[in-house]
Amino acid sequence: MERAAAERVIDGREMEPPEPFVQTMAALDELEAGQTLLLRLRREPFPLYQALERMGFAWKAEVAAGGDVDVRIWQATDRKEN
Amino acid sequence: MQALLSYDQSPPLAAPFRFFLTAPVFGILAGLLLLASGPDLFASRWTPAALALTHLMTAGFMLQVMLGALLQILPVVAGANVERPLRVASAVHLTITIGTLLLVAAFLSFAPLLFNLAALLLGVGVLVFVGAAVRALSGVASTGYTIAGLKWSLVGLAVTVGIGVLLCLALGFSLNVPLLTLADVHLGWGFFAWATVLLAAVGYVVVPMFQITPAYPEWFARFFAGTLVLLVVLWSLAELAASVADSALAATGMARAALLLGALLVALAALFALVTLAIQRRSRRARFDATQHLWRGAMLSMLAAGLLWLAAMSVPRIGEWPGWPVLCGVLLVFGGFSSVIVGMLYKIVPFLIWLDLQNRGQRRLIAPNMKKIIAERAMGGQMLAHFAAAILVVFAALWPELLSYPAGLALIVSHAWLLRNLLAALSVYRAHGAKIDSLFAGEHAQ
Repeated sequence: MERAAAERVIDGREMEPPEPFVQTMAALDELEAGQTLLLRLRREPFPLYQALERMGFAWKAEVAAGGDVDVRIWQATDRKEN
Repeated sequence: MQALLSYDQSPPLAAPFRFFLTAPVFGILAGLLLLASGPDLFASRWTPAALALTHLMTAGFMLQVMLGALLQILPVVAGANVERPLRVASAVHLTITIGTLLLVAAFLSFAPLLFNLAALLLGVGVLVFVGAAVRALSGVASTGYTIAGLKWSLVGLAVTVGIGVLLCLALGFSLNVPLLTLADVHLGWGFFAWATVLLAAVGYVVVPMFQITPAYPEWFARFFAGTLVLLVVLWSLAELAASVADSALAATGMARAALLLGALLVALAALFALVTLAIQRRSRRARFDATQHLWRGAMLSMLAAGLLWLAAMSVPRIGEWPGWPVLCGVLLVFGGFSSVIVGMLYKIVPFLIWLDLQNRGQRRLIAPNMKKIIAERAMGGQMLAHFAAAILVVFAALWPELLSYPAGLALIVSHAWLLRNLLAALSVYRAHGAKIDSLFAGEHAQ
């Protein structure tokens, strides 16, 4: 089943680290309550998770077809059932 | 080192950095040893100085970086957190550093006590590391080829050092074991099952990520690590069986089997080099950076070592030349693994510093650009010094009288330069860290 579209998408698959991280941080600054950021990468961004936790964001990672990883990020206070 | 890097957060920067900063010191010691021993070192792979030099580079330079990087790679790449990383790092770093120095002294003096002490310290250090890494990985499913490869490489490390400890104790207590065969098996495990398997496992992540290349092909990554380790096991059994066989016929048969399995091992390692070169050619980066040149140099050097092995096995004139194993080892260690390790340090070190500063600055103070943490010119210059040193050591194996002193000097220069580049990165880290501290201290004061 298709998920609800994210309000902002960052495709980091062709970027050199730490570019996806930097862009995610910038996007999160502008992410409003109730909105979701979708980050698409080639692998799970474990260092990002630590930063998200500290900053009060929640996330869910899913392995997409072809092995890419989709990480959906939203404000922890949203209590979204993603 | 701890005082320089007292920042205490998981994964703390101080854990890997003590290894990274110690490694080039072993490279400098290798250069000094070459200057002290002169051309005699290259007479055969069994000269005391050649054994000491090999272990300054493998147990000194290479092992330091490999273990330090693994402490960071496990959590960052595999999500496997090492418990009490600083304590593990301190214990492992101290024991393997002193253990390697004792081992080198043992080769140069052949004092039994030094072999026993080196065996104890290196054995304990690696055991502590493998124990911590296995615990960290125990909760992590082998979902990708990298994680599976990391697990295989730990088996390779444990067996390599286990045989190394046995060899030391055999020399220390004059035990009756087939020393030369065991030394070959130790080398086979160290080169293939530990170093090459680890390099490939890490390569699957860092080559596409930092060199903007396509991924390693699925067919390759799927079979590589497991097959390589299986071949090393079979090859070791054949080598050992050949050395203890009680009839000439059985010994010849086993030696043939070992040769065939050895050829498969060399072919598989060469395949890794070829696949790496092939995906590197498809990098979307307009101009190669230092890391890419270092990886390419390393892969070409490994291929040259493989071709030399093939030539020595098939052309009697080359096989009978005592210099070929020295040349082969030099191509692997100085041209191959050292190059790739320097190339990886130039990505890992700026990345870890950037990540740490980014986390500490909490978006209030932007971390410095990762590309500015070690200046590109400094990396490029050191890369040239590194290649010059590697080429000089390779040719010193051919013309020791002429080139062993220049090679020793070049090794000292390239490793001192590497150390300088790493210290420069550390000073960027400390300067920016001080800014973060004063920013937050200022806020608390208000």
